[in-house]
Amino acid sequence: MNMRVVVWGLIIFVMLLLVALPTVLFLSFSMLPAVVALIVDRTDEKSATFCVGGLNLCGVFPYLLSLWLQDNSLDQSLRLLTDVFVLAVIYGAAGMGWMLYLSLPPVIASFIQVMSQRRLQQLRATQKTIIEEWGEEVIHDADVGDVSAPVEMPHAPSERTQAPAPA
Amino acid sequence: MAEQPMAADDTDGDAPANAGTAVLGDRFIIDGSKPLPELDSPNAKAYLAEDRRDLSRQLFALVCIPGMPVRTRAMRLLKNLPGTGTLELVEWNTAFWPILGRRTMIIVMERPLGGRVLEQLQSGAVRLTEYDIPRRVVQPIYEGLKHLNSVGVAHRAVRPDNLFFADRERQEIVLGDCFTSPPGFDQPLVFEPLERSMANQAGRGHGSVVDDMFALGASMVVLTLGHNPIEKMKADDLLFRRTNLGSYAAICGNARVPMSLLEPLRGLLSDIPQERWGLTEVELWLNGRQQTPLQKKAAKKADTPYRFSGRDHLNIRTLAHAFNRNIPEAVKTLREETFHAWLKRAVDGGALSETLKGYVDTADFHKDNFQGSEEYLVARVVASMDPIGPMRYKGMSLCLDGFGPMLASEMIRDGNVQVLAEIINRDIYQFWVGERSVVLDSLERAQELAQIKAWLVINDPGYGVERCLYESNHGINCQSELVVDDCVIVIEDLLPALDAAANHVEGRARPMDRHITAFIAARFNEDIHPHLRALASTKESNAVVGMLSLLAFLQWKLRVQPLYGLASWVGGVLGPAINSFHSRTTRREIEREIPKLVRKGSLPELFDLVDNAEKRLEDQDGYADAVDEYIVCATEIGEIEEAGSELTDKAITTGQKTAAMISLVTTMIVVTITFIAEVL
Repeated sequence: MNMRVVVWGLIIFVMLLLVALPTVLFLSFSMLPAVVALIVDRTDEKSATFCVGGLNLCGVFPYLLSLWLQDNSLDQSLRLLTDVFVLAVIYGAAGMGWMLYLSLPPVIASFIQVMSQRRLQQLRATQKTIIEEWGEEVIHDADVGDVSAPVEMPHAPSERTQAPAPA
Repeated sequence: MAEQPMAADDTDGDAPANAGTAVLGDRFIIDGSKPLPELDSPNAKAYLAEDRRDLSRQLFALVCIPGMPVRTRAMRLLKNLPGTGTLELVEWNTAFWPILGRRTMIIVMERPLGGRVLEQLQSGAVRLTEYDIPRRVVQPIYEGLKHLNSVGVAHRAVRPDNLFFADRERQEIVLGDCFTSPPGFDQPLVFEPLERSMANQAGRGHGSVVDDMFALGASMVVLTLGHNPIEKMKADDLLFRRTNLGSYAAICGNARVPMSLLEPLRGLLSDIPQERWGLTEVELWLNGRQQTPLQKKAAKKADTPYRFSGRDHLNIRTLAHAFNRNIPEAVKTLREETFHAWLKRAVDGGALSETLKGYVDTADFHKDNFQGSEEYLVARVVASMDPIGPMRYKGMSLCLDGFGPMLASEMIRDGNVQVLAEIINRDIYQFWVGERSVVLDSLERAQELAQIKAWLVINDPGYGVERCLYESNHGINCQSELVVDDCVIVIEDLLPALDAAANHVEGRARPMDRHITAFIAARFNEDIHPHLRALASTKESNAVVGMLSLLAFLQWKLRVQPLYGLASWVGGVLGPAINSFHSRTTRREIEREIPKLVRKGSLPELFDLVDNAEKRLEDQDGYADAVDEYIVCATEIGEIEEAGSELTDKAITTGQKTAAMISLVTTMIVVTITFIAEVL
């Protein structure tokens, strides 16, 4: 992160503090799980951040909306931040995000594993059917990677079909 | 030199207990209970024959010894183009002969009513004076030989005991049978020209009218004198005498030959083929034109003899003949200076001596290969010593045009075929080819032998020594153990014989072996190279298909009737061909169909089933697709199995992304709903 970004970030933060101090204060504390997730999540995809942050926002948004639409003051902001029920909802939602992030991958992995096994069975069954119909030599030719050239057989003259039918 | 005709079978003049009849061409009945021993040939027994359509016809049949090569070409020509001076050939074919219990060649001929000329002479029933000889003996024989020559056949069996009186009055003399053995095979040495008499019995060659002329001359001597003046002379002594004195002097000896016959006898008994009387000279003589008698020419003789193998030799031709019989001793002799001194001094052979020394040096140079062998050296030496004699190698001697009958003789009695093969493979015949431009058409013979070599060097079915046998002997029957008793001489008889053989064949033997393949290749006038290539394949399935295709081609082309036995036999050995299909379903279908076609006796249909091009292409394509599909499956299985922890990681990452997506979607829904609920 270069200096320019930091400077612009600070300028914007200061501007926000001047313009919307209650909102900034409320979000600063209520979105802490998302910030923690951002710090902890070292992956490129930032899946944990999106997962925790998303549900964290779900918990925050109703109260943020009430702050904006009813009493957009510093007191109201502090009142919400000190309300146990509000914090429970906000952090509970963030906790749900963590739970979702931790529990869903193993389920998906198991599902994919089952699908792979099923595919293996199908492929092996197909191979067995091929060998039953075409013989073990398929395995050899598949290993060699080349089907033997067609056998050149002698042909009785084509007119043989015109030969008089045996009595 | 062996001079015994091949042993005849054990039937004798009396009617055999199990005598039966044979019918030839649905017309001629040969009665086994009525033998005619007075008409026997050395290799065929004579029986009474009847023509169903003309019972007044006087016929007899010669039943050949099974296995003896017969002269089918001559029979074919003379049946189609009958002439005077010979017994008329009425019919010929193979038929089952009950006395022998097998098929054999039977030849029906016009019956001579006056008996054998020689027997009649010796019994005193007929008397021939020197004045009778031209008109009663030479004239009809001349007519017969002239006719034979006009159709391109040499009789090669002109001898007094093969001359018959055609009529009861014993006025008309005709030539007897010449079909029941190879050319010259039954001729006593005295009736063979010198160069052919030096050859083995079976290797005397097809010859020409030039050789028949010599036999005519010798026969005239016997008929004039009423006996053979040198009958009791041993074969070797006779050859020695003829070589040293000349055939005329050796045969006539001190016998009192009438002056009027001196001229033709000297002409006919000349040992120089290009000087020998031919048909023209005989005709002129018969017409009373005087010709200058040929002077008696003895062979070039040495003043002092050279002793070799216990015999004194005055002539290099006899020495050459003896060299071939004692090769180790001959090689020793060739290295002795005394021999070369004798050669130079005694027979004016300075150049020859140098040539022979050169051969010895060449042999020494090629010690490590066949050109350095004693046998090769002696063959080369003998060819230079007696260039107009027969080919001689490893004790065997045969004329250039006698290779076929000699090969047949050796193969039939399990003799030494190897020597004959070496004569061809090692180009030993070339030593003699260049010297015979007058005696024989040497170029033509060389081409024939070169063609034989081309067949001999290929070891595939349809080639090899078997092919040479059938190509050079048109009258020999197929020697395959499967059909040897059926006397199959012409290609049309092969499939019916195989059909019959199907009833007694044992094991999993196939209806085609090397002999049958070679026989077909030699006798069937169609291009069968693709079939032979398939037969030669190392893949069993290809070989089986090749066999079936060839048999099917024969049945179709020759329009042979249904062959139930053979079809069943072939159907039983088609396993490898059926297994050449990859598809098991197709195999089962073919196996189900085979019995139906076997019941039809049709090999072409069987072939169509087993080697249907469309079906085979379909099978190949299907198989290629199956292999591709198998590879795709194997690749995917490998990928899945190799994935392992990577798959788990991927699944977890996917799960995390899914969780993030669920979270974001939920957020969007909740935010929207909340916003709508609060603001609106």
